Amino acid sequence: MSTGHAYDGADVEKPNPVLRVDGLRKSFGGLVATDDVTLEVERGSITGMIGPNGAGKSTLFNLISGFYEPDAGTVSVRESGPDDDRAGDGDDPEAGWHDVTGMKPHRVARNGLVRTFQTPRRLEGMTVREAMMVGQTDQIGESILPLFTDRSAVTANETETLERAHDLLERFEIDHLASAPATELSGGQLKLVEMARALMVDPEIILLDEPVAGVNPTLARKLSRFIRELNADGQTFLIIEHDMSFIMDLADPIIVLDQGRVLLESDPETVRTDERVIEAYLGGNA
Amino acid sequence: MSDDSSGFRQDPVGALRAWWTDAERADRLVYTAIAAVVVLLTVGVAIGSIGIRYVAGLLVLVAMYSLLTTGLNVQWGYAGLINFSVIAFWGIGAYTAMLVSSANSPLELGWHPAAAIPLAIVAGTVVAVFIGIPTLRLREDYLAIASLGLAEVVRLILLNERQWTAGSQGISGIPVPLSWLPFGTRTAVLLIGAVLLLAVYLFVRRIHRSPWGRVQRTVRADEDLAEALGKDSYRLKMQAFVIGSVVMTLSGVLYVFYAQFLGPADLLPLETFYVWVALILGGTGSDKGALLGGAVIVLIREGTRFLSGTAAFDLLQTGLEVVGILTHINTASLRLFAVGVLIVLVIRYRPEGLLPPREELIWPDAKRRAEVSGDRSAHGDAPGAVAEPVPETGSDDEGEEK
Amino acid sequence: MVAQLIVNGIVYSSIIVLASIGLSLVYSIGNFANFAHGDTMAVGAFVALASAPLVQAIVPGVTIAGFPLWFFGALLVGMAAAAVVAVVTEYVVYRPLDSSAIGLLITSIGVALAYRALLLMQFGPGQQSYPVSRGGRIPWVESALGVSVTARDVVIVFSSIVLVASLHAMLQYTTLGRKMRAMADNAELARVSGIRTGEVIIAMWVIGAALAGAGGVFLGLDTIIRPRMGFELLLLIFAAVILGGIGSVYGAMLGGFAIGMAHELTPAIPFIGTEYNAAVAFLVMIAILLVRPNGILGGDAT
Repeated sequence: MSTGHAYDGADVEKPNPVLRVDGLRKSFGGLVATDDVTLEVERGSITGMIGPNGAGKSTLFNLISGFYEPDAGTVSVRESGPDDDRAGDGDDPEAGWHDVTGMKPHRVARNGLVRTFQTPRRLEGMTVREAMMVGQTDQIGESILPLFTDRSAVTANETETLERAHDLLERFEIDHLASAPATELSGGQLKLVEMARALMVDPEIILLDEPVAGVNPTLARKLSRFIRELNADGQTFLIIEHDMSFIMDLADPIIVLDQGRVLLESDPETVRTDERVIEAYLGGNA
Repeated sequence: MSDDSSGFRQDPVGALRAWWTDAERADRLVYTAIAAVVVLLTVGVAIGSIGIRYVAGLLVLVAMYSLLTTGLNVQWGYAGLINFSVIAFWGIGAYTAMLVSSANSPLELGWHPAAAIPLAIVAGTVVAVFIGIPTLRLREDYLAIASLGLAEVVRLILLNERQWTAGSQGISGIPVPLSWLPFGTRTAVLLIGAVLLLAVYLFVRRIHRSPWGRVQRTVRADEDLAEALGKDSYRLKMQAFVIGSVVMTLSGVLYVFYAQFLGPADLLPLETFYVWVALILGGTGSDKGALLGGAVIVLIREGTRFLSGTAAFDLLQTGLEVVGILTHINTASLRLFAVGVLIVLVIRYRPEGLLPPREELIWPDAKRRAEVSGDRSAHGDAPGAVAEPVPETGSDDEGEEK
Repeated sequence: MVAQLIVNGIVYSSIIVLASIGLSLVYSIGNFANFAHGDTMAVGAFVALASAPLVQAIVPGVTIAGFPLWFFGALLVGMAAAAVVAVVTEYVVYRPLDSSAIGLLITSIGVALAYRALLLMQFGPGQQSYPVSRGGRIPWVESALGVSVTARDVVIVFSSIVLVASLHAMLQYTTLGRKMRAMADNAELARVSGIRTGEVIIAMWVIGAALAGAGGVFLGLDTIIRPRMGFELLLLIFAAVILGGIGSVYGAMLGGFAIGMAHELTPAIPFIGTEYNAAVAFLVMIAILLVRPNGILGGDAT
């Protein structure tokens, strides 16, 4: 769903956004990392985010996901309605929005926004399927009392989680690694697990932080395919990437960030040829 | 290792056999060594060369230390919390018991000693929450210092607020529950210790092999990741901290039943580090390892005491005196040295400990019930044993190679 | 009365500052919390004590402002001994270890216990003092400012100032100092830009331990010498470093000053007895951490 309009700070309407960022600002010491960023991510899209080094992409991700607290501005996530498409159908166009500004990361996650990390985390002492099962939300057994007072419910819940973990691993074609220690996986395999686990959370939107950084082309193609398949099932993605061919091929629209500000948001072709974008990359800060 | 409590009930021999075959070779060595020690002790008692009262006393100490290591295991092993206030919580349990039940207590309450247990739990919970609130959000090494400092504060209060705690004078004498049993007070203490240890062990095993245990391990491995998945790491850490602290207070209660005397001098910061060595040596994150660690610490204590009583040691002392170095060597300093060196050696050569954790933290009933691909997956293979050969690092064809 | 407490605070702070610098160096360059630091102080104190007879025989019996010269000789011996012990420990224990910061922390506890055990075995558990007269107060100070200041106090404060100034000069104006600061900021970058990190680490241990040793000698001079002395101070030293901000040596100095003052000013607080000195200093640290989790001068930990 292309907007086709350049961002001039004016709101560009998207019919069914799932993430809304408004006037976000963050400084570190004297340095302004995020400078009045406003954007929206359309539900069901694969939205890309690019920009030269130091443009503030990671900072923005951290602000959105709750790892940094903004100096100003808001972040909101919209939950999906009963028909999985749009909340508050018709009656109230603003229904279903949750303001997650300044919330701790776990609360942001519980509102439906899940992020991955640039360097995949090796989970010490856990097997792949354990690492997967953690992703499941609302596990009864994560509270102590039910472990003693309501064992059958815990068993039912855990069985479902375990089966779901295996199913997702199978979908990503790595179920043969289910019982392997997470620390023995290669970097590429870990990326797949990360993505699979994000799905365990069943989120409204997944933020992928440089999913193919340091990954060879074959795996990158595989990841691209998975993202596309999941997107076809309705999953929304916001992806930061440096790898141009990967992101141009996959995402639409693409937001360009430079020096903490949104420079442009448009379809890949427009972005690729836009003068300002080219200058931002070639100019002082690349 | 498959862990089948209901399987054990139905077919104990079969279950034991399965457990042995599933065990790692290194673990089997440890188990054999333990069995050998038990046999030696039994024989020694039977033929009279080791006093049974002495062994009974040792067993109580083992129970006490095992409770401490188990408590620390919940904090450090499960959740990754560096807690250097172990002895403070032990002290809280011990003082709670003494203060409410001892005839010589400054509070003069004279309650039944069985009340000590629930009260110690309450006291432990309150102090743990109190300490946890400012410290659990700090980074791990700050937590270490903060806990060390707070332990010191506890000790100072116990030492100086004489009107409540009898100060450096200490309190002596506490009635022991179950002492009306025909076997005598000492046996009663041993029985209480065994029951406490068993109850705690079963409790921690249940909460460990569960979604709760699993999410704790995730918080330990990578707190940011856990948060990004929607887990409230602060709340989880607080739970682990409180549970661990409460278990430690129970250890203190057991101690006063056994020792019948308590003073602030018993709250040596050194004891905290003994428990740390015990846990690391036994196996961080392992419930069985924690128990083993407790036993090993008692072994070291008794071992050093035994050693310093031998003729060989006298010879060593004389020799050192002649040369003029280390002339003040004795049990205490020897023990201190042994523990110090042990810590360095264990971290260097076997940081995972003698009985490292092997099991997946998945609710056992669910593991049995789930219909998942492959025989081994259903049994829950240990992280130490890889299900299939994992493709070479750098390779990307995970889907194609099997 | 408060003036006297302030004087005491300055003396005590000097000791804490010397110890904090070493700890801070290990934190920022070695990247772990060295729990053996307190016992390193004790090593310095005891070796200085043991060397006293020998030094007294060699150094002329001159006094500086009523304070014997040989003492400074013993001080240097103590500092050197602490440095040697630290370097040996680095080679034998820490360097071969391929462990996380937490693993090193726990290992350093083992090292601390080993140091203390050896001191106990060699010197016994009792209290000892330096054979220096517990000189009287300096009269003109007493009449001028109304506070009691002894020769010992002057020696401690003055020597500390000299040592800290030397350290500052070294850090700012020498190549080694620059390398140390570079490594403290970013070890990876330092290594990549060609700095011989191994050398810097040895320098870190030598300087840090020597200063700790000096702190130990002064602590023994100010109070008493016994094997537990270092561990008892460990808490305050850590509080000082954390308060000042991990990774900042200058922060450690500030923190050391703050903690030392808080410790000695406790009698000025009503209702709290001097037995709670350490507790007060420590609680000050906790309070500040709640407001500024990275300490006063701390940025993100390096």
